[in-house]
Amino acid sequence: MMNLFNNILPQDRKIKDAQMRATINQKLVETGERERLKELLRTRLIECGWRDQLKAHCKEVVKEKGLEHITVDDLVQEITPKGRALVPDDVKKELLQRIRTFLADQSNI
Amino acid sequence: MTMGSCEHLQEYKATHGTNSFRIIHTYFIACSSADARRRKAKSCVCHTCRLHTPRLHACLHCIYFGCYGAKHIHEHAETKGHFLAVDMVHGAVYCFECGDYMYDEQLEEIARKQYKKSKKRLGSKTTNFSSWEPTEVEIEILRQNPKRRKVEMKSSIGLRGLINLGNTCFMNCIVQALTHTPVLRDFFLSDQHSCQVQSQDARQCLVCEMSRLFQEFYCGARTPHIPYRLLHLVWTNARHLAGYEQQDAHEFLIAALDVLHRHCKGYSDDILLSYNSQLNAGTSDSNGSGNPHHCNCIIDQIFTGGLQSDVTCQQCNNVSTTIDPIWDISLDLGPGPPPGGNSNSNSSPNSGFSNSPGTYEPTSLLECLKRFTKPEHLGSSAKIKCSTCGSYQESTKQLTMKKLPIVACFHLKRFEHSTGYHKKISTYVSFPEELDMTPFMSSSRNNTNGYNNQVIQESSRGLSCDNKYSLFAVVNHMGTIESGHYTCFIRQLKDQWFKCDDHLINKALVGDVLNSEGYLLFYHKQILEYD
Repeated sequence: MMNLFNNILPQDRKIKDAQMRATINQKLVETGERERLKELLRTRLIECGWRDQLKAHCKEVVKEKGLEHITVDDLVQEITPKGRALVPDDVKKELLQRIRTFLADQSNI
Repeated sequence: MTMGSCEHLQEYKATHGTNSFRIIHTYFIACSSADARRRKAKSCVCHTCRLHTPRLHACLHCIYFGCYGAKHIHEHAETKGHFLAVDMVHGAVYCFECGDYMYDEQLEEIARKQYKKSKKRLGSKTTNFSSWEPTEVEIEILRQNPKRRKVEMKSSIGLRGLINLGNTCFMNCIVQALTHTPVLRDFFLSDQHSCQVQSQDARQCLVCEMSRLFQEFYCGARTPHIPYRLLHLVWTNARHLAGYEQQDAHEFLIAALDVLHRHCKGYSDDILLSYNSQLNAGTSDSNGSGNPHHCNCIIDQIFTGGLQSDVTCQQCNNVSTTIDPIWDISLDLGPGPPPGGNSNSNSSPNSGFSNSPGTYEPTSLLECLKRFTKPEHLGSSAKIKCSTCGSYQESTKQLTMKKLPIVACFHLKRFEHSTGYHKKISTYVSFPEELDMTPFMSSSRNNTNGYNNQVIQESSRGLSCDNKYSLFAVVNHMGTIESGHYTCFIRQLKDQWFKCDDHLINKALVGDVLNSEGYLLFYHKQILEYD
């Protein structure tokens, strides 16, 4: 699907990407697949210890900043980069594969 | 940061109630109907920039969705004076006056109910984990007992030697294995047993004795424990084990589990009957004894697995299936035909295996399991009457696991008792630290092969984590069949192994464990799901 967009200007490409992302997201939500994928992702991230690692990191951040002054935004800012980096490659691959399969099924309907 | 609500949220609730929150949650956060999902898919975009961004918030005062990252919802709050918004992913309420998320009991309850509904609609088999909240009684107990024990890596809590009361090493090893079974330990240490034994002397209940035993193991005492009461209770309840001669550890395990299971009684017979009929896939030759293994006691919850036996009629290919509850898997060692060989119609009178008698001896647990689950051709001397074609035909029988227990105990049959002939098979059988039972499940069953090579490859990619086990205890027998001694290895605190030799407890290396002979192997499921 991505090959079709190779001859397009970068700014248009950005818009097209956003549109496609929105469409895919819509389809995922409508069919309930998004929730199922979330469930799968949650399981995988717990299994590989990602959740525990990040939880520990959160605790450190809270200790640093102090329980009185910390806000959710602080935590989000602190742990988002680490969280993104720590997701194992095979988890990413698996989710991607599931989404691809889903899209393929959708286009067959 | 506050763990509770704020005055602004309280004021809002007083004037507007919880309806807007409920509606937003039902339609846009945790949808429980296809219609709601469609609506969500179409409208979950920011009203300002028309994009679907990760942290959308819904205004609680009017109909407006805005991005958090691009601050659109912040602008809305400022300009309209609407200071409360809901995060549309998690359902958390943000107060712009206070600058952080606020937590209100009532709204949380609404959200919880919605999530449960939505999960059910999607067909999810699990429920979300919710942390333990102590009850009033428990809070009081905690307050009255302020001493806390912190378990650190060097802690030896849970380790205690057991005095040998005269060839009772077979019992000591099983006790060590049971006291180090995590789920069982948690059951007893959290005081879950309420005694149902209708006896004047409550000390007759073996489960109560187990409970006391766990207390002895985890109280921090360093001197070995003398389990004379336990021994006495086992003798009175399993008379075939009474006496000071050396007994079989495996027999003791089964007897102990049986007595514990019987003494756990406190659940109605209705549960027994309905579960019994559920498990048996409707065939004529069901296990008629009204199986006592189907209650809901902790022993059954932990140890009971379902062994499926499929008998295929060679004439009409009709498959007759029965499922038997089992507490352990006994594996044959010694020579036999190799697994994966093709079946032919010759029958060997002694072994019941129809393939050419081979000198194949399994040298690993996996090979034992492969042999165990391989289809075997029941010879012409063991014809079974087929219910479909109505005649006596030769058939093949295959065993697979239908339901896996939380704790799987493998029994390597090292002791041979034929008439006037007793021998111990001491061949080395290797066993892994981690075991994947997927190839041996009924769902992997293939009619002609026994197991499918492809399935093993798939399982190694980790697609089914439900069937993965970790080794946590090994019982070993040293010596001959006439005189021998039992010791065991147990695992503690994730990766520390200890050797238990009656009253002597020593640190051990995982290499020692894996190189030991192995008689009883205890594996624990890696991932537990909440029903």
